[in-house]
Amino acid sequence: MIKKPGWIKKIFSDVEDYHKTMTSQERYRRFRRTLSLVMIAAFLIPLVLTTMLSYFEYRSQMLANLRWNAESAKRTIETFLSELQTVLVYTATEQTYEELVDQENLKKLYHRLKSHYPGVVDLGIIDHKGIQRAYAGPYELLGKDYSDRESFKGATGSKTFIGMVEMGYRKVPHFTIAASFFNTNTGQNWVFRASIDATTLDKYLEKIGSGPLSDIFLVSRKGEPLLQTSSQQLGPPLSPYPFKLPDNRIGVTISEDRGVWDYVVLKAVSYIEGTPWALVLLKHGYLYGKDWSFFKARLFFIILFSTLLALVVILQITKLFVGRIREADEKRESMMAEIEHTSKLASIGRLAAGIAHEINNPLAIISAKTGLITDLLEISEDFKYKKKIGSEIHGTSYAVERCKVITHRLLGFARRMDVTLESISINTLMQEVLSFLDQEALYRGIHVDLELGDSLPIIESDRGQLQQIFLNLVNNAIDAIGKDGKVTIKTKMRDQNSIQIDVEDNGKGIPQEIISHIFEPFFTTKDTGEKKGTGLGLFITYGIIKKLGGHISVRSSVGVGTTFTVTLPIKINLSRRAHNVESESLSN
Amino acid sequence: MSKVKVLVIDDEIEFATTLAERLNIRGFETTACFCTEDAMALIHAKDIPDVVLLDLKMPRMDGMETLEEIKKYNPTIEVIMLTGHGGGIPLIGAAREKYSPFDCIMKPADINELTTKINQAMAKRQTAINKGEGE
Repeated sequence: MIKKPGWIKKIFSDVEDYHKTMTSQERYRRFRRTLSLVMIAAFLIPLVLTTMLSYFEYRSQMLANLRWNAESAKRTIETFLSELQTVLVYTATEQTYEELVDQENLKKLYHRLKSHYPGVVDLGIIDHKGIQRAYAGPYELLGKDYSDRESFKGATGSKTFIGMVEMGYRKVPHFTIAASFFNTNTGQNWVFRASIDATTLDKYLEKIGSGPLSDIFLVSRKGEPLLQTSSQQLGPPLSPYPFKLPDNRIGVTISEDRGVWDYVVLKAVSYIEGTPWALVLLKHGYLYGKDWSFFKARLFFIILFSTLLALVVILQITKLFVGRIREADEKRESMMAEIEHTSKLASIGRLAAGIAHEINNPLAIISAKTGLITDLLEISEDFKYKKKIGSEIHGTSYAVERCKVITHRLLGFARRMDVTLESISINTLMQEVLSFLDQEALYRGIHVDLELGDSLPIIESDRGQLQQIFLNLVNNAIDAIGKDGKVTIKTKMRDQNSIQIDVEDNGKGIPQEIISHIFEPFFTTKDTGEKKGTGLGLFITYGIIKKLGGHISVRSSVGVGTTFTVTLPIKINLSRRAHNVESESLSN
Repeated sequence: MSKVKVLVIDDEIEFATTLAERLNIRGFETTACFCTEDAMALIHAKDIPDVVLLDLKMPRMDGMETLEEIKKYNPTIEVIMLTGHGGGIPLIGAAREKYSPFDCIMKPADINELTTKINQAMAKRQTAINKGEGE
């Protein structure tokens, strides 16, 4: 036998363990349930794993896209700003402070710059005290004091400076780029400042874009975060930004947020170096976007469909499988029961014959002695107790006679009979048998019906033995009815090798609890009245049928009647029968 | 007409003696032997029985061998087998081709059946003798 792994063993132990207290139905139900669960698990676990993998793969790809978009947007903004800064620094270093504070000169420079960079709103030169000494632009800002403004303080502190978007004096959103320089003539610092229209950034960000489902904008990172450029979702510049900015200042930080919306957004934030800004990319279609919904729906339907299909298939297969196992088990059990029954009858037969044989010798002595006493009584003269002794001896002889009948029948069952094979028409044989019992049946008001099959083959068997079998069965049927009833005898082909004879009565029937004992010796129900049974009739019948290579079975229900079914081979398998006889002679 | 000589061979002494007595009452001249050796000694001593009642199962030499011995010695002696054993009869059937008994009767046997068989056996022996077989 193939060695089964432990867990398989455990499943199969459910069916194999016959010692459990549960009924066989429970056992098979449990086996089926366990098997189904194992198969469903074996199917669903890989399915779920694959699904989860594709889900996460999809998600991580989406995140990678977002990160890449955010990084490229950040680089674009950085490039733009550093270009502006370079232009500013270059311009300032090309000319002296004195040249630049000249209004006319600055205006020329302003116009030149504006033609290249339309986003430049104005230019200004601020002296070391923070007073704007020169100004070129659309506003009247000459002489304004910048000493307490971020642009002045920031530039003087760190050479170059980019300010947050503000309204300032101009009342339009703008931001400042400033650079501080050292005037060697005066020995004092001064600041070159340019205001840039904040919408320039918008234009840049628009150009970068990142699909219809996203929103890209800048947010100030000092104090309360405010929008620096306009956002499709959050409004114009300087509107409040409803999320917290991450602490991580390096690279791109990706997080999920619900924020002001009733759906989840995916958020990529990246700090832009050298500026007070952070770039924010919102992907609000992350979970509800067309792609995602489609992907999710597809996944869902695939799983649902596969699961349903698997469930149906698995349940059907396990049902079929367990059914087959159960059928095979039942067949095996009934075969075992049959074998057990047959071998039990055979051993009872041998035992009974053995006992009969042992009893037979002393019985023969008793018989001879009583016989002798009778003889002697007959030839002796009359004496006092002659009559009494005679009647006692007669009683003894009668008892011995009864014992003899029993031992002879038992020995008749056990002895190896000479089976004389003849060609027999079973229908004719049944009619012959009935002719013996006609009178009895008539007397008891029992109608005997013959339903004889047409064109039954001539069988090869022992006529005398068959007569004995059917006499016995029909006699039993008549006894089971008692008075007024019906016995039906049916003959027909069973299969191509055997014929079947049913002896059916509508008598009292045999209770279920004793039906398994009826072929045992000395088992009788005919214990009343003058026709007392020896309990050997069916036992002997059974033995003969087995010897003729046939089979007998009984079906009965109390109050309805009993049917004995005899099957006989059309041709007796002589070698098999010889073998049977051989094995019996050895056991005798 | 002289009496029919019957020899009962059976290791059951009680059975053999009682049966012998009953047969004597019925006019047979019966001797009982309780083993094959004694019986064969008797036969060899020219005390030839007409009919032998022979038990099938006996210690040492069993009924079948004894039958063979008797028939070899004198084929006109008729032998009726007595058996308490159900298996005996077909065995005889198998041996019938060589040395067959006149009949087989199962113990306990009815005395009338037995006397009838003895008389039939005697008649057969008589016919054989008349034909000049043996003796």
